[in-house]
Amino acid sequence: MLEVENLSAWYGEAQALREATLSVAEGEVVTLVGRNGAGKTTLVRCLMGLHKHLTGSVRLDGRDITTLPAHKRARAGLGWVQDDRGIFANLSVEENLLLPPRVSESAWTLEQVYDAFPALGSRRRAGGTTLSGGEQQMLAVARVLRTGARVLLLDEPSEGLAPVIVAQIGDIVRTAKQSGIGVLLIEQNVRFAATVADRHYLLAQGRLVESLDNDEFVERQDELLEHLGI
Amino acid sequence: MNKRRTVATASMVMAGVLVTAGCGAGGPSAGGGDFTDDKVVLALLNDASGVYKDVSGPNSKIAIQMAIDDYQEKYGDEAVVDDIEVTSADHQNEPDIANTKAQELYDREGADVILDVPTSSAALAVATQAKNKKKLYMNVGAATTELTGAQCNKYTFHYAYDTWMLANGTGTVVTEDGGKNWQLIYPDYAFGQDMVKSFTGAIEAGGGKVAGTIATPFPNDNFATYITKAGAAKPQVIGTMHAGGDLINLVKQYNESGLKDQGIDLAVGLMFISDIHSLGVEAFEGTIFTDAWYWNLDEKSREWADRFMEETGDRPTYAHAGNYSAALQYLEAVQAAGTDDADKVVEELEGKKVEDMFLRNGEIRAEDHRVIHDVYLARVKGPADVKEDWDYEEIIKTIPAEEAFRPASESGCSM
Amino acid sequence: MNAVLQYTVQGLAAGSFYALAALGLAVIFGVLGVVNFAHGAFYMLGAVAAAVLLDTVGMSLWLALIVVPLLMLVFGMLVERLLVRWLLPLDPLYNLLLTFGLTLLLVDLVKRRYGVSGLPYERPSALDGRVQLAGVGLPVYQLFVIGVALLVCLGVWLLMTRTRVGMIVRAATERPELAGALGINVGRWVTPVFGFGVALAGLAGVLAAPFRAITAEMGSDFIIILFAVVVIGGLGSIVGAVVGGFLVGLVEAFGQAYAPTFAQVLIFVLMAVVVLARPAGLFGREEATA
Ligand SMILES: Nc1ncnc2c1ncn2[C@@H]1O[C@H](COP(=O)(O)OP(=O)(O)OP(=O)(O)O)[C@@H](O)[C@H]1O
Ligand SMILES: [Mg+2]
Repeated sequence: MLEVENLSAWYGEAQALREATLSVAEGEVVTLVGRNGAGKTTLVRCLMGLHKHLTGSVRLDGRDITTLPAHKRARAGLGWVQDDRGIFANLSVEENLLLPPRVSESAWTLEQVYDAFPALGSRRRAGGTTLSGGEQQMLAVARVLRTGARVLLLDEPSEGLAPVIVAQIGDIVRTAKQSGIGVLLIEQNVRFAATVADRHYLLAQGRLVESLDNDEFVERQDELLEHLGI
Repeated sequence: MNKRRTVATASMVMAGVLVTAGCGAGGPSAGGGDFTDDKVVLALLNDASGVYKDVSGPNSKIAIQMAIDDYQEKYGDEAVVDDIEVTSADHQNEPDIANTKAQELYDREGADVILDVPTSSAALAVATQAKNKKKLYMNVGAATTELTGAQCNKYTFHYAYDTWMLANGTGTVVTEDGGKNWQLIYPDYAFGQDMVKSFTGAIEAGGGKVAGTIATPFPNDNFATYITKAGAAKPQVIGTMHAGGDLINLVKQYNESGLKDQGIDLAVGLMFISDIHSLGVEAFEGTIFTDAWYWNLDEKSREWADRFMEETGDRPTYAHAGNYSAALQYLEAVQAAGTDDADKVVEELEGKKVEDMFLRNGEIRAEDHRVIHDVYLARVKGPADVKEDWDYEEIIKTIPAEEAFRPASESGCSM
Repeated sequence: MNAVLQYTVQGLAAGSFYALAALGLAVIFGVLGVVNFAHGAFYMLGAVAAAVLLDTVGMSLWLALIVVPLLMLVFGMLVERLLVRWLLPLDPLYNLLLTFGLTLLLVDLVKRRYGVSGLPYERPSALDGRVQLAGVGLPVYQLFVIGVALLVCLGVWLLMTRTRVGMIVRAATERPELAGALGINVGRWVTPVFGFGVALAGLAGVLAAPFRAITAEMGSDFIIILFAVVVIGGLGSIVGAVVGGFLVGLVEAFGQAYAPTFAQVLIFVLMAVVVLARPAGLFGREEATA
């Protein structure tokens, strides 16, 4: 449902992405692994329409969205979770959830969100950034699920979180997958990636150097870890 | 850069036109007099766009043109000079701009006399230029007594009003009428400090006392607490030395304060009829102030004010009338001297007794060049007493010329 | 003691003008990132409009309090659409210069049309007089000004905290890019928000009309104090603008009472102290992310 073709991006003169071509199908979880500075965030920002200096094309359900402004992409079904989680300090937990408009029938209700994330329900009136890091990550993911987004773009959701919470995030990703949502998961945590994903892309210096299915990925895990320098 | 070039080009073109015109006329009539460039140039230098624009501003140019017309009508073929021009410049109330403009007017535009120049610091700068260039300068718009005091000079004359005259009028008369205990509120710059000094002198001479003074920032729009504070000392009169927008702010907030009902009056140090016009008589009702001239004094002033209104749509302030009179008396002196030579014109002016629609019992004092004349104590009418537009003042007292201004003996001027 | 009560009321009345106008300045800065230098000129236009409407069609203060802000809302939206919008993608400095230029233009136009001496304004007689409280007569009009300002500030606060519009404005203020990526059309809110900020300045102007000299220059010093207010309250903070406004009004009044010549200086001393102690202002947040 998400198809990216020959995507190149620049910061001024410096090229950060080189002709990346990738796709995410319905109900498929795909990870993008790569070292720091490889261009992963740049790629999702291009997909969201936040980085504009680019060539190539992005299609969602066959529709070319390459030149759409960010808010229209969100309404077309892209759900972005920023690498710093992007919780509004001036909005309460509940307001953070209610801010984005519903974009499809599969949008979660507040009750569903609070059932799935009891910690959010009990703190619904609290300021968004008064939550712990893990809770903020839950909130960020719950926020895009509540809109009914059909492709999730998660930028390193496991970063800096305790293993139990990372496991919880894995559960959410699997739930999403089951309901037909496509997920592009940016990860440096290779072990975690291997537990949730169907396929993997390896990004190095702005170039997609390999595309592996999960079995190959697990097999070559040590080599990949070394490549990533972790 | 461009602007300057345009101005230069424009003045060259104008000069060309004038030369041609002069040739055409053949220059026959100029009664054998001795004139630089065969013409007389009167230059108005004042605030053309800022806070004092309505007090004098561009309308004074019209007043000066009226003086030229009256001079030409009076003398006709007898006039010693045919070609009389009026030019003007904006000094934005800045002394350094006034200084350069005065230089330009005297040197490049051939001005024989500079008129008006409100704002004391600017006025003093121009006086220095007049002295250096040996060209005439008749100040109308500034209040400082320095012009006829320590910084007086042979070429500078001071018309209309000054701080001594204002303080003497309002301060003395209000005190003698029973307002013995004063609080003064003043803007904290040269004019305000001068006024406080002059008022204190006048009030004490009248048997009263200044119990306190309050300096305020300048400019300022919030006077509420200053007024409350002055009122808390329970004076009989609060005297304000503010002008323009500050004065309007202060009066509005005085009216708000309720001090009037407690019998604490407001006396205004410097006020123009344009202030009353802009704020409305209600706001100023009952306020007492000293006026150098009022358009509705009598037939003579009224007739002139009607002419002025036809041209401008407004009634004149005393600055407009003062500029008219200064221009007219300058031209009379030129007529008598038969030349625009500054020294000869000064000779004609000095000591001259004058009557015109502005100067009543007027004299151009030789000792310090203060132009003295009758001045008036006015009270602002209530709305019910206003019979026509601009009918705002009731003249409650005429202060005779010799009492109205600082005696020459006290001026400290030596030329 | 009585004097202190009077000073307090005077301070809050002066602070009302600051609070209302600063609120507008803060909202505009928050959503557009524009430091609107023309805010003082908009305040002036509000007062001038009230005076002109009273003079020409006899519009009372009561009606002017509603009509003038609406006119200013429309005027502000036009300014945003026709001018400010084009410079938004550039360095914020450009819009500062633009609004500075706009100020000069508006002030000059008003001077040209209405002169420099100021316009008269008569308020409804219902607001004349004084009420006695603890032995002092407090001017009804000052109390009225404070009341209106508090009501409007409360209204804006409810709007900002209790409505979806307010939520969107808060989100867009904090992280405009993210708000967009979550499906909010931030651009659509820019024009009304600018107009709304301008309307608040206009409202402050209408309230000032019976109380202050209505001249083309009346906003020139006002804007300087306003900048101090928003720096003290915290740039872009709505609560900060209101608290800062009333605080500055009080400092001005008590300064006038106890250190007359330094009344205005004190405001900037307060500003310096606040900035040293809390660089982001009393209610400002340290920048989370750029
Ligand atoms: N705003 C920017 N201006 C200039 N260069 C940038 C900018 N943002 C990122 N880059 C550069 O682009 C390259 C890709 O950065 P990007 O943030 O996409 O990497 P990343 O793979 O997400 O890294 P990380 O794992 O650290 O998040 C890097 O070399 C980075 O230095
Ligand atoms: Mg990244």
